[in-house]
Amino acid sequence: MSFWFWHGLRKGIQSSRYPARAENTPGVSPGRPMGTDFSTLEEAQLAAEICPTDAIVAHGKSTYVNPAKCVHCQLCLHSLPSPMNWEPGYEWAQLSANQTEAHPLPSAFAKSMHIMVVDAGDCGACLHEVKQLNNPLYNMHRLGFFLTATPRTADLLLVVGPVSENMRGPLLKTWEAMPTSRKVIAVGGCAIAGGVFGRSFMCACGVGEVLPVDFEVPGNPPPPLAILHGLLVAAGRKSLKSPKPISEGRV
Amino acid sequence: MALTGPLLVAIFAVCAAGVLLSALLGRKHVPWVLALAGALSAILMVLTSASILLTGHPFEAALWTLDGFGRFTIHLDSVASIFLLVSGVVYFSVSLFAGSFLRNQTDEAHPHFYYAILYFALMASVVLILVAGDIVLFLISWECMSILCFLLINYDTRGQSDKSAGYIMLAMSEAGFLAVAVAFLLLARSAPDFSFAALRTASTALSPQTLWLPFLLGFFGFGVKAGLVPVNFWLPRSYTAAPTIFIPVFAGITLNLGFYGILRLDADLMHAGYGTGLVALITGSITALVGILYATTDGDIKTMLAHSSIENAGIIVAAFGAFLVFRALGQPVAAALAVSALLYHMVNHSIYKTLLFEGAGHVEAATGTREMDQLGGLARFLPGLSAIFLVGCLAISAVPPFNGFVSEWMTLQSLLRSAVLASTSVRIVFALCGAALALTAALAVTCFVKTYAMNFLGIRRGSWELRDNAQAMSKFPLAFLAVICLLLGILPTYVLPMLNQSAETLAGTSVTTALVQPFFTATPENAQLPSAFLTDFHNLGAQTGKGLVPGRGLVVLLRGGEANPVVFAMSPSYSIIALMILFAFAWFVLRRLTRRRTLARRPVWAGGIPRLLPILTYTGTGFSNPVRVVFQAIFQPNIIEDTRQTVAVHFRTAIHRQREETHVVDRLLLRPVGTAAQGIAAFLAGMHHGKLNAYITYVLAFLLLVLFIYRGG
Amino acid sequence: MASHSSPIAGGNIAGLADLTGTIVERFGGQVGQLRAGGNFILTLSVAQPSALPELSRFLFWEHGCLFGGITAEEHSRHWQIHYTFLLPGSGWIDVELSMPLETKTLPSIVAQVHAADWHEREVEDLFGIHFENHPRLGDFILHDQTWREGIDPMRKHFSASHPQLERKVDLEWQPLLVVGDPGSFAMPVGPVYEGGIGESLHFLLETVGEDVIRAAPRLFYNYRAVEKVAEGRTITGALLLAERFAATSAFAHSLAFCLAAEKIAAVEVPPRAAALRVLLAELERLRHHAGAIAAICESTALAVPSAQASIIEENLLRASCVFTDHRYLFGLNTPGGLNFNFGSEQCQTLLTAVDRAESDLRILEKRLRLSSSFLDRLENVGVVTGESARDLNLVGPIGRASAQHCDLRTACAYSGYERYVFAVPCEAEGDGYARLRVLFAEATESARLIHRVVDTLEVGPVRVPCEVHHAGAALGWVEAPRGAALHWLRVDEKGVVERYRAITPSFNNWLGFHVAAENFAFQDFPIILATFGLSATECDR
Repeated sequence: MSFWFWHGLRKGIQSSRYPARAENTPGVSPGRPMGTDFSTLEEAQLAAEICPTDAIVAHGKSTYVNPAKCVHCQLCLHSLPSPMNWEPGYEWAQLSANQTEAHPLPSAFAKSMHIMVVDAGDCGACLHEVKQLNNPLYNMHRLGFFLTATPRTADLLLVVGPVSENMRGPLLKTWEAMPTSRKVIAVGGCAIAGGVFGRSFMCACGVGEVLPVDFEVPGNPPPPLAILHGLLVAAGRKSLKSPKPISEGRV
Repeated sequence: MALTGPLLVAIFAVCAAGVLLSALLGRKHVPWVLALAGALSAILMVLTSASILLTGHPFEAALWTLDGFGRFTIHLDSVASIFLLVSGVVYFSVSLFAGSFLRNQTDEAHPHFYYAILYFALMASVVLILVAGDIVLFLISWECMSILCFLLINYDTRGQSDKSAGYIMLAMSEAGFLAVAVAFLLLARSAPDFSFAALRTASTALSPQTLWLPFLLGFFGFGVKAGLVPVNFWLPRSYTAAPTIFIPVFAGITLNLGFYGILRLDADLMHAGYGTGLVALITGSITALVGILYATTDGDIKTMLAHSSIENAGIIVAAFGAFLVFRALGQPVAAALAVSALLYHMVNHSIYKTLLFEGAGHVEAATGTREMDQLGGLARFLPGLSAIFLVGCLAISAVPPFNGFVSEWMTLQSLLRSAVLASTSVRIVFALCGAALALTAALAVTCFVKTYAMNFLGIRRGSWELRDNAQAMSKFPLAFLAVICLLLGILPTYVLPMLNQSAETLAGTSVTTALVQPFFTATPENAQLPSAFLTDFHNLGAQTGKGLVPGRGLVVLLRGGEANPVVFAMSPSYSIIALMILFAFAWFVLRRLTRRRTLARRPVWAGGIPRLLPILTYTGTGFSNPVRVVFQAIFQPNIIEDTRQTVAVHFRTAIHRQREETHVVDRLLLRPVGTAAQGIAAFLAGMHHGKLNAYITYVLAFLLLVLFIYRGG
Repeated sequence: MASHSSPIAGGNIAGLADLTGTIVERFGGQVGQLRAGGNFILTLSVAQPSALPELSRFLFWEHGCLFGGITAEEHSRHWQIHYTFLLPGSGWIDVELSMPLETKTLPSIVAQVHAADWHEREVEDLFGIHFENHPRLGDFILHDQTWREGIDPMRKHFSASHPQLERKVDLEWQPLLVVGDPGSFAMPVGPVYEGGIGESLHFLLETVGEDVIRAAPRLFYNYRAVEKVAEGRTITGALLLAERFAATSAFAHSLAFCLAAEKIAAVEVPPRAAALRVLLAELERLRHHAGAIAAICESTALAVPSAQASIIEENLLRASCVFTDHRYLFGLNTPGGLNFNFGSEQCQTLLTAVDRAESDLRILEKRLRLSSSFLDRLENVGVVTGESARDLNLVGPIGRASAQHCDLRTACAYSGYERYVFAVPCEAEGDGYARLRVLFAEATESARLIHRVVDTLEVGPVRVPCEVHHAGAALGWVEAPRGAALHWLRVDEKGVVERYRAITPSFNNWLGFHVAAENFAFQDFPIILATFGLSATECDR
């Protein structure tokens, strides 16, 4: 059994250096479409039509992408004659729609934040990406982020999933059981805007309908580094690049 | 002292008055008579014993003579006074408790006066046992006490589920009585008359081998009442079947009479060898272990407390065994220490066990059920009772600053004194028994954590309703005992000198100087302590209060001896002072730190389910199941599983598991003995075949045998 | 129902004649029509519902068929209930039953085919059809404690966009507990699972304090009514749902859906597309198994192999992202083929990553076999015997660890699997260690299969147009990483989805969980959960 000790030592430190250094290993993020200026009106219209969730909005020849609605179907990349521009990277965290400036947790929590994860009807991908944050390649423990098993000791509530009806009650109870000085982060397109499931008798349209959400991490699923960026924003260690989310109709 | 005689007469007079008044007055007044006369008589008991203890002179009186039985004498010495004192305190609380309980009982069919008559008669017989100075008076009053106990248990048979409990108790009491009578008579063979003084002098002439038989007969004969394995199987059943108002008497008084008998016969009247002490020590340890195992896994409050009484009896008898061994092997100081521990534990046990039984009585009256798996959440409905019961649980778990801690500490320390003995085998026995007692102490904590938590904390599990009369019953008797628990715990240095007189009588040496030092100045008595120790204690402030507090210092000390100059010390008195200072400090600090915080009360976190149902919370059985599993070899339950399924294995609708347990003593000892006895009887029954000729042959054969035996003339 | 013929790959149609003959002989008048062709090698129309139990028993036990599932459809004037069975080596058998809409009761087949338990409970909860003699209906998807009776959300008159219903907590509700030991209680675990990061599921661990006597799962906290939401969408819209309700086997479910749609449109995908589909499915299987192995190591708190296994999984996720631009293989399948093509350098890069993962897994397996304290916690824990596995129709690696050999890739090949030779590992002990061995062996087989696919890849298009011009229904099936998954799709002539049913392997296997979770110590509970490796969200849809 001592083999495991030497085996682990031999494999060495494999953790990413993010946020000290950007992580560029291929495959850490699928990237996402970004607003593109097309050469013709038809191309812009085609791009807006092909998107199954209306995440792409065309204004004349320019298109804008609402990252909260993008479900990463890649149709705008692979099925368009002139594809959308693709934005690599993973720092996707944003404020929720009703907030104008970031209110992260107090500075006492910046280096030691305890996170309670609740699955509220998630498909499994976002939850899986959150699980990957514990593996040695990302290792969020080195940043002082820990997972708790009970909301009584949690500072941040991380919710994935569009909030199915059966989980609405338990989710509310979890939030109520957290001591104040608590923040909520909604991870994944489903948690922000309902994703592909949308609003139905069994499904709410995002966590915002049940709890007051402070931060959002769009993506379907957001890669672990995007979630990590979101956690750093919630802890106050990273500021947001775009303080306001792009909403429909805004030019 | 001159007052003792009149006081004794007064006790009997008050008891007689109580009997008369309860017989004559109406039903409504009987509870008042019970409470007031009982309390008065109890106070008189306390005064009587105080008169002996404060002066140090025993009281002697001679009563009338009976032909063939000798003179009846009364002899109240310091040993009996301790028991009388404890009985007085317990009777005070129990009388008030019984009075308030009966007052709130609206059931018209209960014959209150019948109970009160028996109660006062029992009180009189208890006092008589304690003051008896000769065999005949002792045995007569002992028998009265047994029969009165039986009558009191069967006083209300309607509520009993186990109607044979009283009869089993009576049968065992009679068997014990016979054994005790034989033991006394064996000692009296070489004595001029039946008084205890004569027996004492006569037994010094007997050899240790001849003393074995009276010792064992007396030990197990009195052990019936004291609750020793293997003669205690009547105890849990009787305690459970007895009426609520009577059980505290059982636990606080009659149990002690067993110890009194053992002390009187086996320690005072004879000085047996150390082998007998080892027998007592081993029996005590086994009793303690078996008692606490069954207590931890039991789900009925009263049965659990009964088993716990067995456990405490085991501890007391183990200390008794240590005392005998030390005395026989020439270690009088260690012997005095052991007997002080024994008496202290006996006093403590009476106080907190009575408190717990009264609390259990309150719980049963308030909810109508005794099953711990059905209770829960009582702290919200009965906060006062909950706090007092908590004191009782802490005391019995030997948690400082309550009294259980002091006596457990002293008991275990006295077992550790075995280091001064020369014989290795004896030391090994001491070590093993000490380990067993340590295990029982740990299990006792488990048991009472379970009791308090399952009954008072959590949420209500059963469907009982709180009854109105619950709040009306007075909690003063319980609070009174709780305060005494605290006082006995934080003032041990004042209690030990009182017990010292009895210790001196039995062990021959005073233990006060060995245990309780005066304040830490350089006095001749303190010269034996190492000077470094004195300096350290001075620096710790151990002599604080020298001018204010009269008498002894506040630390209990044990010295290790010349070869081992270690000092073992403990001071609950200083502990409670330090504890209060720490609590106050913590409270002030927290108040400052949380000035701007608010306190929010939220429902318990249960994983997000809509409601935490009672079926989803831990039961007492679940809490104690690990103990049951670990000690499976002792319990050896027979589990009958009944699985009901509708369609196939997949669709089980119900799994019922019944656990059938035979008590380990029943299994290992009583069943085989019973089966053997039945076998012998069946064999002998072969003689009853009805043939007249064979019967004539039996008579002829017997006649020939007798002639042969007496052929010499 | 119009059936369009589409040849079932593989199959021993010769045995079919015997089967048909026996059925006609035994059931005669109770079974109406028998026809072959189309999706199913045999379709039986049952005239009298009372014949169902005996017929099911005959097919399941005497003829050795496996139970696929129950699909209920509501048409304008009648019910159509499908009971699907698999004849291994041949194909699917559909036992269908039509009854007027007013009839709301059916005889239950649960006494004969225990695996139908949860299927019938789901139909009762969602459609309101009562199954006689089913011992435990109700409190399934719509929990009795918070939902009232009579909602029947899958009925046509109930709209998916119905506003949220008013719900109250029923204060009188008590869970149905099995153990009646005095002093027993049920410890609640979940739904916010206190084990760290977990899916939302609820257990009531019935215990007397030291051992858990029975642990039955209460699921459907993640129920999003995917089947209902899909109704009224186009095929491409419903494909999004099919792909994303259980994202860790997203490719497998989207493949089953596309196969069903292609059968309806009577379209055959090009061979390169079929081969690439095999490659991607095996890539998903390899990644899923690496994650399952990491979860098993983590449940036993063996930190280093758990960390190493999760590194393997993360590397495979990154390789998937490089290969397909998505870590979880979303957005690849479309009816008619794949959305985009892959070049040979991409395939070579993928092969390098797959090889590295396979060799790492092999080292891990070799060393785990020597870690005795780890094996101690897995051996004889959570045992599911072969008989129980057959009885409850367990599928996937769990079934194969309990001697249930069936793997849809060989039993009823699809998408070109018949062209490749590969082994289906199988164990017989049915304990946690057997499941671990099956996972390792399957991962190695998947890696080898990926190699074979790349070696024999043909050039050609990866997509053909797939338009649905007439109404139809079809069954698509796939061996997902967790087991057999079936998707039933019915569309109208405009290509709008009328009924979509997804029978997932986790739904079948959760039924069998309580068999493994009986009389175990509290500490073994997370280990049994991890070795089962089931997904609540895949079961809940």
